[in-house]
Amino acid sequence: MVKTKITSPKPYTRTRPRASIDWTNYDPGEFYDEIISAPGRARPATRSLAAFMRKQTIKHLISRQQAADLAIQEMGITFTVYSEGQNIDRSWPMDIIPRIIPRNEWQVLESGLIQRLTALNLFIDDLYNKQKILKDKVVPRDIIDSSPEFLKQCVGIKPRYGVWSHICGSDLVRDADGTVYVLEDNLRVPSGVSYMLENRAISKRVLPQLFERNSILPVADYPSQLFDMLASLSPRRNQHPEIVVMTPGIYNSAYFEHAYLAQRMGAELVEGADLVVGSDDKVYMKTINGLARVDVVYRRINDDFLDPDVFRPDSTLGTPGLFRAWAKGNVGLANAPGAGVADDKVIYTFVPAIIKYYLGEDPIIPNVPSFLCVNPKECQHVLDNLPTMVVKPANESGGYGMLIGPAASKKELALFTDLIRKNPRNYMAQPALKLSTAPTLCNNNIEPRHLDLRPFILQGKKHYVTPGGLTRVALRKGSLVVNSSQGGGSKDTWIVDTEAE
Amino acid sequence: MLSRVAERVYWLGRFMERAENTARLILVRHNAVLDLPKEVQPGWNLLLQVLGAEESFNKLSGAATEKNIISFVFGERDNPSSIISSLTAARENMRTTREILPSETWERVNSLYLSVARRSQKDLPRGVRHAVLNNIVQSCQQVTGMLAGSMSHDAAYQFLRLGWNLERADMSTRIIDAASAGLMGHIDETSPFRNVLWISVLQSLSAYQMYRLSVRRRVNPADVLTFLFQSTDFPRAVAHSLQEIESSMKLLPDNKDALKVVTTLQRHLRQTDCSALVGPPLHDFIDELQLQLVDVHNAIGVTWFAHASEPVAASS
Repeated sequence: MVKTKITSPKPYTRTRPRASIDWTNYDPGEFYDEIISAPGRARPATRSLAAFMRKQTIKHLISRQQAADLAIQEMGITFTVYSEGQNIDRSWPMDIIPRIIPRNEWQVLESGLIQRLTALNLFIDDLYNKQKILKDKVVPRDIIDSSPEFLKQCVGIKPRYGVWSHICGSDLVRDADGTVYVLEDNLRVPSGVSYMLENRAISKRVLPQLFERNSILPVADYPSQLFDMLASLSPRRNQHPEIVVMTPGIYNSAYFEHAYLAQRMGAELVEGADLVVGSDDKVYMKTINGLARVDVVYRRINDDFLDPDVFRPDSTLGTPGLFRAWAKGNVGLANAPGAGVADDKVIYTFVPAIIKYYLGEDPIIPNVPSFLCVNPKECQHVLDNLPTMVVKPANESGGYGMLIGPAASKKELALFTDLIRKNPRNYMAQPALKLSTAPTLCNNNIEPRHLDLRPFILQGKKHYVTPGGLTRVALRKGSLVVNSSQGGGSKDTWIVDTEAE
Repeated sequence: MLSRVAERVYWLGRFMERAENTARLILVRHNAVLDLPKEVQPGWNLLLQVLGAEESFNKLSGAATEKNIISFVFGERDNPSSIISSLTAARENMRTTREILPSETWERVNSLYLSVARRSQKDLPRGVRHAVLNNIVQSCQQVTGMLAGSMSHDAAYQFLRLGWNLERADMSTRIIDAASAGLMGHIDETSPFRNVLWISVLQSLSAYQMYRLSVRRRVNPADVLTFLFQSTDFPRAVAHSLQEIESSMKLLPDNKDALKVVTTLQRHLRQTDCSALVGPPLHDFIDELQLQLVDVHNAIGVTWFAHASEPVAASS
């Protein structure tokens, strides 16, 4: 009898599942792609992401995306939209494929953002005090005189450190040649930072492997940086300043963020009716112990509604007397009322000159070339080239009331020609940029989608810039509209240190 | 702590407790209906009586069938005392006080709400009923446990506790009232099911096992009422809830007037001879007790939630 030799079975070798993510099929076309520089080639800082994804099947990525969506729903990360006559809480849309910026590039952008906010704060402080820049005719006086955001009530007030906009969100975009531009500044009540933080929390949950392989700058520090900045505005020199976040309430689109930031800072979240200003012109909040003094108000409510004694008298969201208490230096207010005068889209075109005027420096991050319709020559240029232009009203945010020339119908073009002719001061235009793209999970496939970036900059005694910011992505093919209220999504943003690896 | 926030936290406590108790109630009814012959048990209507929802049910829903009553108590958004309504209110109160509560509790409440909201679009047939309701009870208890275990036992926590306990005391009196009223009408003193029915009263309050441990006699109405009203050890007994309320109040500022209302009620309860309540006097007694609980609720509101309306210069 032949004895059969018993051997251990051959180790089962699993053939790697056929990679369905093939970067050679991914073609961003004429656009600059943040991850893939040419079909099949990843940019240096993104190589480990690209390599990781090459090993994944699309099915696996979709299941990760579903896990992310579920986590977002369970964590209750929402934003509120007003639609069909009611407020709806929608889950925050986040695409799991991160957007990556190399650290050395980021360092330049960071110093550019600090430069810009420093100059803008000097500018606002100047406008409400000596107005040197108007006297020197660097910025035309009539632009300020006609700006609805210039608040006469603020003239002569000098907030601490000369800072008016303590929290700024500037939108950056990248054109086809790779140049990064500042698209606009938000100096009043910029929102989105909580989503930046939550996006990171979600990607750590669903793609933990990637964090082992990359050296990614952490973002979680923001709430404590914000707290320190706000504490530096306290009029009392005590150890524990009472800081409150003032919200217009649950129906505001950014309510989630207001509650989030209050929670992370350990601050009270107050509504206007929770505060009173005493006959001593100090601010108090109504507590279970009676009234308690408030030192700093981080207000997430627009100037108009802040104080019915000074601004809109019909406002029920604000607190009567708040402005008076601030003007007397009895409470810190971030951002200061009137800061919006410098994020007017017409003022925007003067920012390079403003930087030069106050700091004697050239802007580190350029402006998008802009045309002011108030200027007849430039207005004609805009009207002649309308189909290639993006036209914006001077004082709107959230992407409302815009015209995107390349995507507009004849009817819309005619409407805007009319609007611009009737009220040129109200409009400015920029050539439609070829916004950069990044790979995004759409329709069970990976496709390039356009995006922008909103970093957040703090200025009090010193500066702080979030490492990265909130990347917003237009989920519809070819669309340039990234606003979440209009079908935009978001991505986690990684500043990757390639030298540390 | 802001008065507005304190008030929302208090209501959060009440609505979570209400959702949990309502789920328990349906479960107990469900079991009782399976156990007892039809002619001796009051059926599903009793559920509506306990919740004081008969009138709105008649207005909103059709025939008083099992299916309709369960849907009404479980998932009817137009019924303010349904589980989905309680959870909606709890979630809304939590959403507006998230900044002071541990974030994982919000996730738990939110996902409980989402699962009930999904389920409430369908019926709750007998086959899935136990699993769904049990999940609600467990999730509510999980939240209570998370809060007790991971939140500072500061003023905010005391307001939660006030909400839980006041709601619980109120619910206990309702259950005793309706269950015993249902009983009295249906069976006489000699019915062999009498015992079983008093047991079901205890079960409605998850009190059966603890009653057994503590009373050690056959189930009889006088002992059951004494246990459910006067035990200071059993967490669902009225006296225990009041004791908890008193202890929370003692940890809050300016508590004198509110405490007085509670201690008066406690004394009144202590001095009651529960064996004398068996029969018709019970209903009047419970009526009076519920009014006194409303007094406690009002005292909490006046003491801690009423906003100082006059802007005065306080000392800083």
